[in-house]
Amino acid sequence: MAELKVLFKDIDVPGIQTLEVYEQHGGYSALRKALGMTRQQVIDEVKASGLRGRGGAGFPAWIKWNGIPKDESQPHYVQCNADEGEPGTFKDRELMMRHPHQLIEGIIIAGYATLSKVGYIYIRGEYTEPARVMRRAIDEAYRAGYLGKNILGSGVDFDLYIHMGAGSYECGEESAMMSSIMGERGQPRLKFPHAPLPTIAGLWNCPTLINNVETLSCVPAIIRNGGAWYASMGTEKSTGTKIFSVSGHVNKPGNYEVEMGTPLMELLELAGGVKGKLKAVIPGGSSVPILPAEKCDVNLDYESLQAAGTMLGSGGFMVLNDTVCIVRFMRRTAAFYAHESCGKCTPCREGTRWMVKIFDRILAGGGRMEDIDLLLDICDQIDGRSYCALGDAAAWPIRASIKHYRHEYEYFIKHGHSMVEAQRYSAAV
Amino acid sequence: MAEQELVTIEINGIELQVPKGEMIIESAKRIGVDIPFFCYHPRLGKEQAANCRMCLVEAGTKQPDGSVRMMPKPQTSCTLPASQGMVIFTDTVAIQKARRGILEFLLINHPLDCPICDRGGECPLQNNTLFYGPAVSRFVEEKRHLPKAFPISDYVVLDRERCIHCARCTRFSQEISGDAQLDFLKRGADTMVSTFYDTEFTSRFSGNTIELCPVGALTSRVYRFRARPWDMKSQKSICTRCSNGCNIWLDYRPNRLVRVLGRENEAVNEEWTCDKGKFGHEYVNSDRRLLSPLIRKDGRFVTASWVEAYQLIASRIRQAVEQHGAKSVGAIGGAHLSNEEAYLLQKLMRVAVGTNNIDHRLERIQLPLADNPLLKRLGVPYAQNAIADIEKAKSVFILGSELVDEQPIVFLRARKAWYRRGAKVLIAYPEVTETELRFEEPLVLRYREGTEATLVNGLLHLLLASGKAVTDRLPSEEFQALQESVRSYTPQQVAEVTGISEQHLQEAIEWLGEGTVILCGNKVRNHPDHAGLVHLLVNLTILTGNAARDNGGLNILLPEVNSHGAADMGVLPDGLPGHATIGDAEARRRIERMWEVGLPWEPGLNTHAMLEAAARGQMQVLYIVGEDVAQKYHDPELAQRALENAGFVVVQDLFLTETAQYADVVLPAASVAEKEGTFTNTEGRVQRFWKAFNSPSPEVKPDLNIFAELAVYLGKPIPVFSAEQVMEEIAKVVPAYASCCYEVLPAEGCRVVQNEARLRLTPAAEGAAVL
Repeated sequence: MAELKVLFKDIDVPGIQTLEVYEQHGGYSALRKALGMTRQQVIDEVKASGLRGRGGAGFPAWIKWNGIPKDESQPHYVQCNADEGEPGTFKDRELMMRHPHQLIEGIIIAGYATLSKVGYIYIRGEYTEPARVMRRAIDEAYRAGYLGKNILGSGVDFDLYIHMGAGSYECGEESAMMSSIMGERGQPRLKFPHAPLPTIAGLWNCPTLINNVETLSCVPAIIRNGGAWYASMGTEKSTGTKIFSVSGHVNKPGNYEVEMGTPLMELLELAGGVKGKLKAVIPGGSSVPILPAEKCDVNLDYESLQAAGTMLGSGGFMVLNDTVCIVRFMRRTAAFYAHESCGKCTPCREGTRWMVKIFDRILAGGGRMEDIDLLLDICDQIDGRSYCALGDAAAWPIRASIKHYRHEYEYFIKHGHSMVEAQRYSAAV
Repeated sequence: MAEQELVTIEINGIELQVPKGEMIIESAKRIGVDIPFFCYHPRLGKEQAANCRMCLVEAGTKQPDGSVRMMPKPQTSCTLPASQGMVIFTDTVAIQKARRGILEFLLINHPLDCPICDRGGECPLQNNTLFYGPAVSRFVEEKRHLPKAFPISDYVVLDRERCIHCARCTRFSQEISGDAQLDFLKRGADTMVSTFYDTEFTSRFSGNTIELCPVGALTSRVYRFRARPWDMKSQKSICTRCSNGCNIWLDYRPNRLVRVLGRENEAVNEEWTCDKGKFGHEYVNSDRRLLSPLIRKDGRFVTASWVEAYQLIASRIRQAVEQHGAKSVGAIGGAHLSNEEAYLLQKLMRVAVGTNNIDHRLERIQLPLADNPLLKRLGVPYAQNAIADIEKAKSVFILGSELVDEQPIVFLRARKAWYRRGAKVLIAYPEVTETELRFEEPLVLRYREGTEATLVNGLLHLLLASGKAVTDRLPSEEFQALQESVRSYTPQQVAEVTGISEQHLQEAIEWLGEGTVILCGNKVRNHPDHAGLVHLLVNLTILTGNAARDNGGLNILLPEVNSHGAADMGVLPDGLPGHATIGDAEARRRIERMWEVGLPWEPGLNTHAMLEAAARGQMQVLYIVGEDVAQKYHDPELAQRALENAGFVVVQDLFLTETAQYADVVLPAASVAEKEGTFTNTEGRVQRFWKAFNSPSPEVKPDLNIFAELAVYLGKPIPVFSAEQVMEEIAKVVPAYASCCYEVLPAEGCRVVQNEARLRLTPAAEGAAVL
């Protein structure tokens, strides 16, 4: 099986970033079509497509779209999550850099369907080039009448703003992103059932649709070709295609769009094969549990990966070969989450830093055998107890790494150095 | 109010009904189930709560088929609203483990310096660890290190190592006090509470953050290392620093006050104190307190016995009365006395001396009682609205007051009205006030000093023009006269005189209406034509439909702790207890019958007249009780001349004040912590305070005893055994105080003003004259 390009269909067309070329390739025809449909018809089309949120959680997109109140007693907002902070993930970057109008078209359609007049693209602070490309594309779209007042003479208004992040992973969490857009500290907000859903009370307490860049980029194709067409791809519950950002020990790292349900090993083939001997794969960004090589005989869709004990996540597909020391790797992961913890809640603030300190001690040769169970117990105390999912995300990879590679931890603690590195050293000698 | 919807929930197998949407942590309290917490506080918003994760519970919902569907993760009970069929478990094995985990996390970076921590012994972190925590920590790494005992203001010390990041202090400063001076810096485990770039924490309510802090991160520099909680006793008291009447605890060690804590009273201060109240009672412990009576001999003060002092005072008063008549004796003071003492002071002067020369007011406004427009037309002496009702206002009009300084607790209610209930706030003041910075987008009316009356007339003009005025129950001729009187106050005219733009005036009218609470302060009380201005404000109150309303009306806020009570007790030259005028023969006879004496029927001199008379040398004896007239009188130069030229000056106070320097006899009085009684706050609420400890010397006496004993020396004994007994007499003499006997006085106090407005309009003649 090869790549199946929906989002990336025209991505190699020279100049597709410009409105002119985009329009030549059918650009904004989906918007015209959507404006000719009723709002409910647009939502129904998305429902028929079976599109699920590509940000990581895989929540059916249409439920959010349909959950926005159908009256205009309050302003409604569309919030596009382009704070692509998950380590190993770089698909949104490419979608924005190389195909900006596709995303803009998707956002406008979402705005039309949810009665929103304003949209925000929250781009992570480090993405200065994608933001520049998006800015140019938005300006073009305004000039062509796709944005602003009375879009294409339809009477529909929609304004689109770029909001740059300031370098916080946490702001990719949808409620922290709302705080950030509203000018508050980038910390998560209460969630259902403690507070209404964002579709009821999001930005400035008004109904807000929050979707990922990839999710919204799917929308034009779905509207153009119909939901059923999209649903015909992929598996029954995971429809369509998914972009995987393949990185690590492969010969051709990069973004690959494949049909949902593609076998994992085929994606590795597409990426030019593994450099050296495959040790493990982290299929959905650094926060999902690690998948050892012997379990890699699995299909890439939400359900199969869950059954295998990991998650599809954001599609940040990291490949590790046998030169990787899991303890060192996990120390880096733990340090990332400790650095990115917003500090709001106790378990995440204190627990993540504690784990880094334990890892540092193990790496420095001061580990104790009970540290392994201590790490596991700290993971248990963070997982499910933290304010938002960042705590969970910090705990899962470490727990999985101990589950699958406990012997490497034990070796490191017992000998004061890495098992993998020792083997490589003796092999070299 | 609509009946609150109840839902049935189940906590640990116990079924109960609670209001829909109530937080589960509160519901659990109803059945005595303890859920530990740190960051939760019922007066702080839940939006920023749920961060300590201590109050986790397992939650589920009953399904139609009777089964229970549990949520996959434990939930924070402090933000979980109760809904029908909710099932809660607070003490499962999983929850116990979660609590141990949270406490272990909190303690890994918390220094174990409890033995030298002020919070030790009353520390939620200590207590929760004891009940729910792990006995031993598994943390073997190095703890976080940050500067300890970092002073962030004159009152507050911050220890960042102890902080558990519950955000109570930051939420308080954002939500309650509104100065937003505390916030978090950095993120993750580096998060720390800070003021903006470590500038000074200048909040006027900073003391509350110390009490809110669930650990010893914020401690009081005043109380620091002075006592351990278990060494102290506490007594219920009332703060005396302003007229708000905040309920406080006096925490003391033998005969020494060590700290002041806020005491809960929903009707007054909820649980807050201002910094003046929390840190402003140090004078009680001062080394400079007067410890015995002093008599001036050859120009110097000499320690004397009480007998000597009483005999001297009594002989000089008798001499003055015999030679110059009772009118040559006068007393100033009462606003700092308890009701019982104020009552006894005026009884002493009226019965034992035989004069009506008695007044408690030091500000410019010293109106004859009969001219008080509020009393005449709204039926209340000063405040129409209860403090607690201010938060229900639809709009709050703050006129001529730096509220946050003058009336801190009233300010907090006004802020609550805006912050929690969305009331509009209008602020009229000649200068930029701190108050207006505490609200988002208040309507600020910046008038030129002294043009208050023009402003109010202008508002009346616009109100009548807008057709919004509530006029249906008003006599038409009065209404016409009023219309005529404000005709010339066109917006253009008013804008020119006051300097407020026409647009702002128009906007103000949009917000004035039913449910407007008018709060007047210093600039109104000290207005040259106070009565005229207040008449106009009464007109405004009536025309906006707020006469006799609970969540709207006119309030003249008072300066001193018992300004209201002193007036109620008749410490007025023309007023008997209960706001009966001297000229009211029937009222006078009623009191004469009770006291079994004849009363002087001529109105006496008010403070200003007494001081003027003294300055002219016509005052033989001036008895000054608890007031530093030389410093605090609005015309200090007059006060000093008066004190110099008065024949004989008696000063009764805690300290050798500037006024006392002029005295012939100085009597040492007990502080509020050393006596008992009641105060009446600015809204007219009578509240009791108790004696905490003994005076610094047995020679220091409560004012009550001094008045009673002096009466004996004057040959007209007023037998008094206790403040309680005096209150029983007051309850008979002053009808409004009938329910204020100690036995029946409720814990939250009793409001003695009855709101019975007489809907009469007064044309703005007097106010117009001020133009």
